[in-house]
Amino acid sequence: MSATERMTRPAAASTLLPAGEPQQYRRRRTRQIGWAFVAPFGVLFALVFIVPITYAAYLSLFQDRMVGGPSFVGLDNYTKLFGDAQFWDGVSRVVSFTLIQVPIMLVLALVLALAMDSMRLRGMRFMRVAIFLPYAVPAIVSTLMWGFMLGVRYGLFGSINGWLGTDIDPFRPSTTLISIGIMVTWAFTGYNMLIFDSVLKAVPQELYEAAAIDGAGELRVIRAIKLPALRGSLVITVIFSIIGTFQIFNEPQILPSMVANSGITTYYTPNLYAFNLAFTGSQQGYAAALALVMAAFTIAIAYAVQIRGMRDALDQ
Amino acid sequence: MRLLTKAWTVGVALVTAGALAACSGAGGTTGGAGGGSADEPVKLTVWSWDGTVELAVPGFEKANPGIEVEVVNAGSSSDEYQALDNAIQAGSGVPDLVMFEYFAVPYFAVPGKLADLGPLGAAELADDYVPSAWNNVTIGDGVYALPSDFGPAVMFWNEATFAKAGIDEAPATWDEYYEDAKRIRALGDDYYITQDTNDLFFLLSLIWQAGGRPFEVDGTTVHIDFSAPETQKAVAFWQKMIDEDLVNTKISAWSDDWNRALNDGTLASQNMGGWLTSTLPERAPDAAGDFRVALMPQWEKGERVGAENGGSSFGIPEAAANKEAAYTFLEYFTHGEGLQPRVDAGAFVPNTSVLDSPEFQDVKNPYFGDQKTGEVLAEASNIAAVGWQYPPFFEWARSTYADIATPFYTSGEGSLEEVLQTWEQRSVEYGNEQGFQVD
Repeated sequence: MSATERMTRPAAASTLLPAGEPQQYRRRRTRQIGWAFVAPFGVLFALVFIVPITYAAYLSLFQDRMVGGPSFVGLDNYTKLFGDAQFWDGVSRVVSFTLIQVPIMLVLALVLALAMDSMRLRGMRFMRVAIFLPYAVPAIVSTLMWGFMLGVRYGLFGSINGWLGTDIDPFRPSTTLISIGIMVTWAFTGYNMLIFDSVLKAVPQELYEAAAIDGAGELRVIRAIKLPALRGSLVITVIFSIIGTFQIFNEPQILPSMVANSGITTYYTPNLYAFNLAFTGSQQGYAAALALVMAAFTIAIAYAVQIRGMRDALDQ
Repeated sequence: MRLLTKAWTVGVALVTAGALAACSGAGGTTGGAGGGSADEPVKLTVWSWDGTVELAVPGFEKANPGIEVEVVNAGSSSDEYQALDNAIQAGSGVPDLVMFEYFAVPYFAVPGKLADLGPLGAAELADDYVPSAWNNVTIGDGVYALPSDFGPAVMFWNEATFAKAGIDEAPATWDEYYEDAKRIRALGDDYYITQDTNDLFFLLSLIWQAGGRPFEVDGTTVHIDFSAPETQKAVAFWQKMIDEDLVNTKISAWSDDWNRALNDGTLASQNMGGWLTSTLPERAPDAAGDFRVALMPQWEKGERVGAENGGSSFGIPEAAANKEAAYTFLEYFTHGEGLQPRVDAGAFVPNTSVLDSPEFQDVKNPYFGDQKTGEVLAEASNIAAVGWQYPPFFEWARSTYADIATPFYTSGEGSLEEVLQTWEQRSVEYGNEQGFQVD
């Protein structure tokens, strides 16, 4: 963007001069150069964004049948989707998951970032890497690992139950979602912490010096300087987290092969439902409609968060 | 603000990526074989996740100089079916021979995606296969695949655990099985005669053996009914086993827990397909010498009725380029010379010529305490009841079954009968939506 601005500015200034052929030519030429700068992005954007989403939209207007093949059904897939109890079950699950897991994770990440920034801890570099490391573990590996840890028969929870004489099963239909929440929190707290940490690092030292001269304590510094500085990044992390949790797929996809009767259905999350509709139900059109509706839903919520976050920032 | 916009764009991209991953098909297709001319050899592409098929290739290529065979693993089960559907839809990259589990044959055959092998000569091979296996690959008058391996339902039972409970022989009837289950359960907390966490194929094999035929398929007309007395008898029996806590509903098959429980003897038996014979030694190495193979318990004393639990076959897509060459190879490794190398490598085939041979029946299996397991497996194959059919949309139905059955298995609320009723209802809805006439 900024590259194009710089290019067009002199051209705009030159309109004050008497118009002539070379000027016209130059102006057009500079405009074309602007396109050239945008092109690499534009091509990729079209290829990975516009083309697939258009194709999905096209697919969503068809119904695939085993007898008779695909047929155009207009918006039938969408009307069916809005009345599909299984779809809403999945949606309400990820929404409640988001409402509970995201705040816990972000508060945890915030506290960790503030602790690191307090300069009072030893071995901070190690800590930072250690807390971030789970983010680098592929979700499939971490799910298998947690599956073993939380398993009741031969896993860690089996031993804990044995010692305490309790009967806690992390993978009952009523507890599976909590277990998934723990896995996700474990994986992403470090990532969010790193974002907060980098923002805190960018706060000018002068502010702290001024605060020290004014006699502000550590908590006062956090409230008056650090938290306001974090506001923007908080909006970003909330948006990222919403997008992430709405798309939960790996954990519920893998867990059923590890633990029996965990309550994970083929429509446990909207993404899992779309996957199963497309690949075992051969209902690609319906799956495409679901994916698009979920994308619109996610965008709407993320956008609402963003607008709200920005307004607060402006109010300041 | 700039950062926000960027984050926003990335966010949108992420959402879309997820959305699209869900819609784009797994386009995994291997180059289709072109029509070979006289001087150019015909190239066959075979999709198989059965590793033994490859062993038949060298002998085949030697005997048929004009044909080259390439065996490709295009994924197992659903993954492969999806890839085949995609290839057929795209009209390119369709393989010449494809592996199907028996239940998947109607899914492809009914909409006309599989070639009828009868005219190519398959109809004459009926006698070489046990009746139930043959029944699996024929729909109406057409033969749509040739059986390549088989899963006669048998009982693997741990003699040592049974002995601990004071039982010295395998239960011959389900009534005896029930009594044995109680005695084994009395051994302690972890002891169960078997496990079941919504294992659909086991339940169906139980119904199958009892004489229930819940699916009737005739072309695109499907009738589903779980209310027949034979079906009800099997379902009620298993309901009783679960209600009285005689079945472990916490350990699911194929899990790590399952291996451990088989290994330490706390799971006393397993009703499964004969194919477990080859992998049980790896799953339960410590139980070497303890396990035996027996026929499934019978509903009436003195009866000899078997059922099936799994198995697969190979068919030729209607869109395949070299049907005749493909059939030559198919016949070679499922019936002809190519069978023996596969059997030697551990394939369990439903060919009577193999099953009834002394080489197969007389081998003592050291893992099973030198039992001649071949004898039992051969008999179980021969007595597997015929007449069973799978609906063409079984692939979808079995994934839905797990959704419906899980609440029952975890909470114990409701009943298997209700589970099956809901399943029937959902299958009817889905089938009709897919263009079948289902009731």
